[in-house]
Amino acid sequence: MVNQTATQSTHQSVWEPRIVAYCCNWCSYAGADLAGTSRIQYPANARIIRVNCTGRLSPEFILAALDMGADGVLVSGCHPGDCHYTSGNLKLRARWAIMEKAIEQSGLDPRRVRLQWASASEAQIFADGVKTLIEQVRQLGPIRSEWK
Amino acid sequence: MNDAAESRIGVFVCHCGHNIAGSVDVAKVAKTAESLPHVVYSTHEMFMCSDAGQQLIRQKIKELGLNRVVVASCSPRMHEPTFRRVVEEAGLNRYLFDQVNLREHVSWCHMREPEAATEKAIDLVRMSVARAERLESLPVKSVKVTPRTLVVGGGIAGLRAALDIAERGFEAVLVERAPKLGGHVAKWSHLFPADESGWQVIAPLIRGVGRHPLVTVLTDSHVVGFDGYVGNFEAKIENLKTKKVETFEIGAVIVATGFEPFKPFGYYSYGESKDIITLAELQELVPKPDFLRPSDGKPIKRMAFIGCVGSREPGNKGHEHCSRHCCSAVAKAASDLRSRVDEVVVLYQDIRTYGRGHEELARLARSKHVIYSKFPRDNKPLVHVTKTGRIKMSWYDILSGDDLGYEPDMLVLATAMVPPEDMADTAKMFSLTRSADGFFNPEHIKLAPLTTHTAGIMIAGAAQAAKNASESVIDASGAAAKAVGLMARGQVEIESTVSHVLPELCSSCHTCVTACPYGAISMDPSKDPPIALVTEAKCHGCGTCAAACPSSAIVMYHSTDQQILAMVEAYLCSPSVTVGGAT
Repeated sequence: MVNQTATQSTHQSVWEPRIVAYCCNWCSYAGADLAGTSRIQYPANARIIRVNCTGRLSPEFILAALDMGADGVLVSGCHPGDCHYTSGNLKLRARWAIMEKAIEQSGLDPRRVRLQWASASEAQIFADGVKTLIEQVRQLGPIRSEWK
Repeated sequence: MNDAAESRIGVFVCHCGHNIAGSVDVAKVAKTAESLPHVVYSTHEMFMCSDAGQQLIRQKIKELGLNRVVVASCSPRMHEPTFRRVVEEAGLNRYLFDQVNLREHVSWCHMREPEAATEKAIDLVRMSVARAERLESLPVKSVKVTPRTLVVGGGIAGLRAALDIAERGFEAVLVERAPKLGGHVAKWSHLFPADESGWQVIAPLIRGVGRHPLVTVLTDSHVVGFDGYVGNFEAKIENLKTKKVETFEIGAVIVATGFEPFKPFGYYSYGESKDIITLAELQELVPKPDFLRPSDGKPIKRMAFIGCVGSREPGNKGHEHCSRHCCSAVAKAASDLRSRVDEVVVLYQDIRTYGRGHEELARLARSKHVIYSKFPRDNKPLVHVTKTGRIKMSWYDILSGDDLGYEPDMLVLATAMVPPEDMADTAKMFSLTRSADGFFNPEHIKLAPLTTHTAGIMIAGAAQAAKNASESVIDASGAAAKAVGLMARGQVEIESTVSHVLPELCSSCHTCVTACPYGAISMDPSKDPPIALVTEAKCHGCGTCAAACPSSAIVMYHSTDQQILAMVEAYLCSPSVTVGGAT
């Protein structure tokens, strides 16, 4: 950590995307665990919040995160048909379609939010998903730039 | 424990040896945590899960009157139960504990970015502290366990499980859809590694369950209804012939529904000649005194086998796995049949005779002059059937570098073990999940391979993954031990993380009733107008109802809106971070 001083100074001044990542306990949170266990390296911009099921998430949680200044929001759950609670992810998917429209109508770029399916064994898919969202958000710039 | 009292939070940051401390500045994380609201104590230690670490938590709870504990260490999927127990031993409710994942989610995946990793760790601890402040103690509930286990599937795994349970003095209900017990094993003539037929192996088990007073055997039957929760399930079992439905009170379930041998249509001209058969079909053919060709009844002189048919195909969903039994089964069948025919050729991609006694079988086959020939993975053998019904094979032999050809009298395809056709229905019935290969997911692949994410439901045998008969029996005895453990205790703790309807906010819209995947919410007719009511024992805690409720009338315990949003706010709106919205 001694030789990190050089990067530290640049780190403070450069904008880095801040990502809120909601993960279901049974698939994607475990997938993220496996990414760690497998030492898959991905950017450190996302902060994972564990929920039991993506079905727990109403659009409010995604919109509130954007409102509070998140540059992007990731929701990662079990594949359709594999939900630990049989169908919570399908309920979330139904809400998601409407929410994306709402985000667009509000003037925000819907590419700031990402819904993905990653099972407990799909560590790489999870990590790639995080990376994809970060890259997307990086192109869009800080969310404050979209506030009118 | 009074939750209303001001929060006194203790933060314990774990080095996990070098695992976390190698890329995260744990001292800085602990130091930063000190200044967070309501944190009265913060430290970093080498191993929080060690006896010393556990003792430290207990000691600080007592010494400083901590009423919330945050441990920043590994994944909660690993040690949440450990630390919940620790805080409980110090008199704190287990739900007043929160864990931060600094290892799997931070240090291990940002190994070359210590600066960014430390920043992420600090954020995650701040989020956890904000959540901890809003945690509420929940009652720890336990329910009785009905001392009866339902075993679904009467193959070798189901039989072994039912008999194990009965021998330990508990009741088992064994359900088999077919008219007879025994499953696939009963039909097999060559059961490796011993020299017994499947029937010889399985007959004592069938007799055993048949005469045991504690086993109820229901053949020609299937489960048509399943409801309840750990220790207190209710199963409706229908007799396929009489259509009579019987209801059983059940404490635990073992799902041993097995596999299906893959029918390889589209592979190696299967279906175009009666003499091209699968290994499973060969097993049923062999016991006859004369070994004759199915097509014309003539004696078989030349035989060929092809391995990995429908197995080990990257990118072909449901066929990517190794079926594990075929290499040894082919070696056994080939060496047994070698004395009855003139020539046996085995075409293979790889030979994996991994089990005890299996390698010896492969050696036996070779010593009997069974010819093994290796073909390339990306250049499979070609098989076609001529107009006169002859089977013509050609392939490239890797080891000699030659293109070879052969005209066997019979071709046997060693096909994959795949999940039965009705796997999806079984999964739905018992709320089980399936992995990419289509078989049932265990609770944990290494640490809990026989239990599932649904408490009280175990899996055994080839329902869990492709495996051979002896492995299935090991599973079965293990799953039976799990079921007996549950029944012998007589009581089981259930999660208190359920949803709750606030009556004064409910607008009687029924949205939650339709949202709940478990039918745990009904309308309480004793209220006027009837309002939603959660049957807690049926609730699995997914929180779908809470998200669906348009009146915010549903509280999901331990995952409340406030608890979740507090984490988001702590990340994005903390005083140290100036960008973002208002706090």
